[in-house]
Amino acid sequence: MNIQFSIAQRTGLMFSHDQDLPQNMDTWIELQLQAASPALGIATKGAKISEWPQDLQPGLTQRAFLWRRYRYLKMQQRQKINGQERPAARQANNSENLMRERDEHKFVQRNVYGGDQVKLRLTSFWANHFTIGNTFDTAQMIGHAIDEGILAKLNGTFADLLYGITTHPGMLTYLDNVWSAGERSEQAKSCRKKLNCQAGLNDNLGRELLELHTVSIAAGYTEDDIKEAAKVLAGWGIDFEAGVPEIRKRTGNNDHWNAYKKRWTEPGKKYILGKTINAGRGGLRELTDFLASHHSTITHISTKLCRHFVSDNPTRDQIEAVKTVWLQSGGDLKSIHTKVLQLAVDAPKAKFLWPMTWLFQVVRLSGATYFKGWENIEDYDDKLMSSKRVFEELGQSFWSSRQPNGYSDDKADWMSVEMLERRIRIAGTIYENANTQVSVAQIMDRIGATLKTRALVASVGASTKDQFVALMCSPELMGLDYA
Amino acid sequence: MHKLNTSRRRLLKAGAASLFLTGVPISGFTKAKQQGTISVIILEGGLDGLAAVPPIGDPDLMRMRQAINPESLLPVNDFFGLHPSLQYYAQLMARGHACAVHATAFPYAKRSHFEGQNMIEGGGLSPFSEKTGWLGRALDLAGASGQSLSLDMPLILRGHGVNDNFYPASIRGSRRPNTDLLNAIALGHSLDVAQLFRKVAFKNEANMQVPRDPASLAQYAGRAMSQTNGPVASVIRVGGFDSHANQTEEKDTDAGKLARQLKVLDDVINGYCDGLGDSWDDAIILTLTEFGRTVSINGTRGTDHGYASVGLLAGGALSGSGVATEWPGLSKKNQFENRDLMATIDYRSVCAACLERSLGLDHDLIASQVFHQPDLPRFFGHLFN
Repeated sequence: MNIQFSIAQRTGLMFSHDQDLPQNMDTWIELQLQAASPALGIATKGAKISEWPQDLQPGLTQRAFLWRRYRYLKMQQRQKINGQERPAARQANNSENLMRERDEHKFVQRNVYGGDQVKLRLTSFWANHFTIGNTFDTAQMIGHAIDEGILAKLNGTFADLLYGITTHPGMLTYLDNVWSAGERSEQAKSCRKKLNCQAGLNDNLGRELLELHTVSIAAGYTEDDIKEAAKVLAGWGIDFEAGVPEIRKRTGNNDHWNAYKKRWTEPGKKYILGKTINAGRGGLRELTDFLASHHSTITHISTKLCRHFVSDNPTRDQIEAVKTVWLQSGGDLKSIHTKVLQLAVDAPKAKFLWPMTWLFQVVRLSGATYFKGWENIEDYDDKLMSSKRVFEELGQSFWSSRQPNGYSDDKADWMSVEMLERRIRIAGTIYENANTQVSVAQIMDRIGATLKTRALVASVGASTKDQFVALMCSPELMGLDYA
Repeated sequence: MHKLNTSRRRLLKAGAASLFLTGVPISGFTKAKQQGTISVIILEGGLDGLAAVPPIGDPDLMRMRQAINPESLLPVNDFFGLHPSLQYYAQLMARGHACAVHATAFPYAKRSHFEGQNMIEGGGLSPFSEKTGWLGRALDLAGASGQSLSLDMPLILRGHGVNDNFYPASIRGSRRPNTDLLNAIALGHSLDVAQLFRKVAFKNEANMQVPRDPASLAQYAGRAMSQTNGPVASVIRVGGFDSHANQTEEKDTDAGKLARQLKVLDDVINGYCDGLGDSWDDAIILTLTEFGRTVSINGTRGTDHGYASVGLLAGGALSGSGVATEWPGLSKKNQFENRDLMATIDYRSVCAACLERSLGLDHDLIASQVFHQPDLPRFFGHLFN
């Protein structure tokens, strides 16, 4: 593969079939890290690429309003009142509740059409690191967390990213923190006087904040540290169904992000890994800042970044190089990213590509229209499946219900008969149904395919569809080894 | 395992067996080995064993768990009940085809999902020490094949090249890829990947009609295992057992998140039984979970990560029925680290017994080659004869 495509495969999503190639790849990554990130897509099949309309990407308050109304009408449907049980009314209610589908579709479209391919790869890394699984009530918030909690913060510090995503209502809901109250909080005290009232700690987010998001088990923390972290977190977050007046009353905030319910918080200082954390609203920032700069966090995430971009088994030197930049820059993400991506470019071979990354690259290289326009999201298309369905088939979606450790960076976890079968089939449907713009020969010339890839493509015979499948499922385009 | 204070221990004769696992291994059988099938249901998230098989005879249960203890338990004996979602399982137990092993765990007590899941699938001595799984290694020793009902190949089955996975595709406008194309692509790839592409070519067209819910997949797996030359092992994952919040509904402790997941489990066991048909007589099904949950409930009508849980076994190959346990007691002083159910049985011994029965391997071989623990106690006699 030539230098442009080799770098784009490892650090981005490949150049689209009709895009001019950069002249200077030495400065390309740096420019990419500063690229603007409009949510690009197409309104209908064949339309020009343009930015997603604002009204299809609302803020948290509007999302909560839509969700509340959806749930209210669903309740009426169950109780058979106001005609909500009629098929037309049910259909109308479902049609107004497409936030989750739209968010995933927008994510997919921007990965196919976006000019900020390196930032999008980094966004996927961090969206996976800070996994928010779909637990039904989180589905309306995942897209918002990815856009506003991650993509918008890629060029800040890790400490800011960590605090922002920890206080995002998606995370606080996914890991049960919105219901957690300090044992000595006013809420718990008054609750104990009532019958059948439950209020107390839930350590789910405290545990994963330490284990997955920051220091990892290698730091040697104890159950007491987890409990203390849960105490710091108690009171953070408010039920997504809460409307603005309720949020104001209970937290003083205007929306769900960064919402702190004083009545639910644990008074007093807390002690985590030897660090004293003060009571009050500022305590969480003290904790996340402490964790963000902890040497175990730096080792854990530097290793993880290398595993994602550089190699399944990164060398000590590679990990140390990232750690050094992390320490020198004070956790500046742009500096850290630049280093990791440079290591990826310099690595002896490409990494095996995640299913989603591979699919975006296939679509971009071939100029296919494999995803519907945003105006057609509800329309049946006998050739194109919804984004939701496509990624279910591939076994990877940020909107799926999954565990908080997210998707693996290890090739072994993606190697199976069925996983490869899906890639073969999807490559086939893209060629047959998605109006590819360039021929197999043109793609191979443009990317500078190796002789081995050309030989593999030639070996499958005269069918141009088979040639397309062979190219896209070749070791070169999947990030695998040749025979 | 952790030493118990015998004076505090409440010994139970419950169902088939009561035993003390830190003790002497039970002597082996010498008759010719019978063989059968082994199916593993992985319950992701950490099953609350005290909710699935509540020890109603333990006076501390209601004291610590009144708000979430299920109301309409299915009877097992004076000491244990079954969660009302486990209707089918209870029927199997009544027929002598099911046995729950309680207060059991893998030797891992640090309460991380991901380390724990790696331990129960890898079967190694510490988290992330294994690149293959205990079932994969056992199948490799036995020269038999297994199948996972999932899109990926789970760690537990890795380690034996003939193992396979199955998960029905549903891609609009796509047909099965042709064999010549697959073989040509395989030729380009390194050996391990090439082998997978070749297997794609062997997939049976009829497979496509299977629905994807766990119970249908279990039925499919059961049918596949009942065929001559079919796989002898299968693996299914069921998620959603991480019941930190609202484990039950507020006004109905028989209902809620955990009740729904246990119903899925019950349906999976039912599906296996339907699919296996006559092969049920030599079948074993067992559940695995990374840990149990805290004895006390937390502040959000749920339970946090704990230590010991329960393993649910079913199948015609079992001869013991009921609950096999060395009950440690629930009082604070009997808990593990003052919070969790103590483990008195090493669940690897249970897995080893199931491997011995289904694959015909010697216990000592399983202990040393599969679990790398040559002195692993033998549990066989409590489940089979």
